[in-house]
Amino acid sequence: MNSNAFWHFLTLQLIKERSKHLSVIFISMMILFLLSSVLFISSSIRFSLEETLKVQPDFVVSRIQGGTAVPTPVKWSDELLDIYGVSQVTPRVYGRYFFEPKRKSFLLVGVDFMEEQSHQKLQTLIDKTDIKAFFEGKQMLVGQGVKDYLETHFYKDAYNFLTPEGKFEKVTIFNTLPSQTNLISNEMIVLPIDLARKILGYTEDEVSDIIFNVPNTDEWDMMTDKLSALHYDIHVVNKKEVEKSYANLYNYKGGVFLILFLILLFTFALILYQRYSMVYSTERRHIGLLRALGWSINAVLRFKFTETIVVVSVSYILGVLFAYLYVFVLGAPLLSQIFLGGDNLTNDVHFVPVLDFSVLSSIFLIYALPFIASVLIPVWKVSVTDPKEAML
Amino acid sequence: MMNEVFLSNQVIVFLLSESTLFSLLFIAFVVSFKILLKWDFESFTPYQFTLERQAYLVSTIIYFVFIMKFILIVYFIFTIDVLSLLVPGAMCAAGVITANDYGSYLLILKLTILFFLTLWFYVHYYDMRTKNHLWFKQKSLLFSSIFLMILLELILDFSYFSHIDTQIPVNCCSTLFGQLEGANPLPFGLSINMLLILFYLLYALMILTIKSSQTLLYIIANILFVYIAYYAVVYFFGTYVYQLPTHKCPFCMMQAEYFYIGYVLWGSLFLATYMGISNALTTLLMGKNHTRSQINVAYLLSLFVLLCTAYVAVYYIKNGVLL
Amino acid sequence: MMIQIENLYRTFHHGGNEVPVLKDINLNIKKGECVVLTGVSGSGKTTLLSLIAGLDKPSSGKVLIEGEPISKLPDLFASELRAKKIGMIFQHFNLFEHLTVNENVTVPLIPSGLKMKEIQTKVDAALNLANIRHKKETQAGRLSGGEKQRTAIARALVADPNIILCDEPTANLDRDNSLLFIEIVKELHSLGKTIVIATHDPLFDNLDFNSTIIPMLDGKIVEEFNDE
Repeated sequence: MNSNAFWHFLTLQLIKERSKHLSVIFISMMILFLLSSVLFISSSIRFSLEETLKVQPDFVVSRIQGGTAVPTPVKWSDELLDIYGVSQVTPRVYGRYFFEPKRKSFLLVGVDFMEEQSHQKLQTLIDKTDIKAFFEGKQMLVGQGVKDYLETHFYKDAYNFLTPEGKFEKVTIFNTLPSQTNLISNEMIVLPIDLARKILGYTEDEVSDIIFNVPNTDEWDMMTDKLSALHYDIHVVNKKEVEKSYANLYNYKGGVFLILFLILLFTFALILYQRYSMVYSTERRHIGLLRALGWSINAVLRFKFTETIVVVSVSYILGVLFAYLYVFVLGAPLLSQIFLGGDNLTNDVHFVPVLDFSVLSSIFLIYALPFIASVLIPVWKVSVTDPKEAML
Repeated sequence: MMNEVFLSNQVIVFLLSESTLFSLLFIAFVVSFKILLKWDFESFTPYQFTLERQAYLVSTIIYFVFIMKFILIVYFIFTIDVLSLLVPGAMCAAGVITANDYGSYLLILKLTILFFLTLWFYVHYYDMRTKNHLWFKQKSLLFSSIFLMILLELILDFSYFSHIDTQIPVNCCSTLFGQLEGANPLPFGLSINMLLILFYLLYALMILTIKSSQTLLYIIANILFVYIAYYAVVYFFGTYVYQLPTHKCPFCMMQAEYFYIGYVLWGSLFLATYMGISNALTTLLMGKNHTRSQINVAYLLSLFVLLCTAYVAVYYIKNGVLL
Repeated sequence: MMIQIENLYRTFHHGGNEVPVLKDINLNIKKGECVVLTGVSGSGKTTLLSLIAGLDKPSSGKVLIEGEPISKLPDLFASELRAKKIGMIFQHFNLFEHLTVNENVTVPLIPSGLKMKEIQTKVDAALNLANIRHKKETQAGRLSGGEKQRTAIARALVADPNIILCDEPTANLDRDNSLLFIEIVKELHSLGKTIVIATHDPLFDNLDFNSTIIPMLDGKIVEEFNDE
């Protein structure tokens, strides 16, 4: 089939039957928009998490009693340092501080500002902070969500923490954590480690957990075994397990959504089948005429399927484009909360644009394949119209 | 847990696509079976004319399935590569494919189905150009066989994905393809040099016989070439793609860090094989020949060989030594 | 022999009833001949025409075009025949109303594999022959009856077929346009085309060029005689 003449004729036919095609394109776009938005958000979050995980320590060691986490003895750090292959051992102090009983909570993170941090971003943050000024009083760095929440509760510059001993500790807000880290830092408060200990009720020789790195990944499995042998109440988690559990969480959320989406898709397929089966006599006569003028069934089939592919492609491009704008430019209002939980502090996160082959091809397959499959039989039926229909 | 695998986006999309294609193919099979029973091309009855129209439905469905199967095998490889994140010990698709017994059989079955679909296309092409549908019955029987293979494929698809255990570690490619205890993994006890000589010789033989009347020789050469080429790529050329003499894997080269070159390499080899053998078989059994096909096959084979050679050449030019 | 028809039967099936429309038609049409099938509505002339064109399939019998049996040809061959050897002019013109004259005449050549330039050359030649080139860019829906007829003629001629089939060509035309049509037929006849016209218009009873009138009644050919 000659390209130019074919495409010219195809365009004219598409314009002629635009009402039929536009309604299909519109519904397709809506469905694609919904699907793409969800997948874009999901993959963007996963990307951000992966980026965050990259800078996480390889191992986290803590103490458990009766299945729950309890303060970890800081002297375990020395035992860890003795193990060959372990580097950058850092004890951590952090915990949840409840603003009021059963109300919102903050994540308090104690940092030893004098030591080198194993967490790269934290290190960068510390490098940027004027340590001298910071230590001039009891001060803290807060996440955006914390700042907003405190402000609405009339705490503009400082907050009085209630320690487990019943004393108040007034801590001033020094600065806000960078907004790009909102995904993690939104409800975070960074404090000097001793202040954090006081507020969270840890003694001098207690920490929440101890982190360290093991550069040789082949040793990780062996390391877990070694550590577990150190103490009966030691709990060891490595980065790969965390990565996997995040992947599973997002797979789970995404998977459940996708399965529900399939129901919508099935309905759409039925509608398509119906719509394409409604062949008006004009269309039948036109096809009959083409056949009478010498078009073979193959030629007609090629024509009708190209028509379909154009509709599919246009819907796909528009649907994905609008989803891209909605998620990565407008920040996906409403939809983002489904993924970010929204049960603690409100998070004003900006999604990192992540467009990879996996997402785009998955969207295309889940849409285009069922679409073409639904219309295949109706399109065939009209394409094999007898040429003598032209005589009627 | 089986759930983790089944809930991954790619697996859902993949299984949905395979199921949709199977449903269409089932319709085609039922129609084709009915046509095969009652087909009488010389007859003038309205029923025969209806059957002729329905034959177009069958060929349209097969055409659509044909295109989608090629797309889906790429997506399948891509999916299992992504799954390597969930499966402990797997660094690429190699580990995931061997996560259970079904994987390797499934992959081989998929590659076989693609060949038979290509063959069906060649037979269909020639059948449509006869005045009395000379090969209609043979074509229909071939399709019936393909349908049964695809039924098996669908069962294997679900079995494979449902038996991937994300708790049990698998072997990564270095274990699967590495040379353990000095044992020679190459076929026929060949050395690497002999393997390469055979590789290039077979390529030359194919190029020489592709347009000649020696179709049987071509078919044998092609089948042998695929077998030898597999080992040549995994145990020699691949190491130049990875620039590491110990990295032997047919799958890692399909990852982003190697610019997905694996898809081009394996794609050109298999496409050339499918078209080459299909064309040779139709020449042998039906006396029909397609020159354009032969030219395309020659181009694809050359692309494959050139690409393999280029990796070695570039490495040598850059470093002055071979691995 | 251009067109040979042997023992042709066509029976329609309507709700369990069999309606024989053509009964035992035997006809030979030579190359360059002009044949006029006459008869009242229901005599079977349109059905016969559609069988010659390969648009319909007979219940039994044979239709041969240039010695080639066309009734049981697979679609690929049948459509090629229609595209290259037969030009059809329909009773109701059957143009694509939303397309221009030029675009309408292009339609039969789209699957041919020819380049756009070659197609346009052929289209221009056909438009000239049918004397409708001046209306090239006019939408078909806006043409008069006569202009539509000439567009249909151009479309039938664009692939330079040897056979032209016309089904009631003057049924929707006034007398002047009908006469114009007959002039075009005369010219086509002089170019050596084989022409078959199915009509009940008495204007065709006395053509001033060599033609054969074949009356039909009740699905059969009544008799055959030459018009001198």
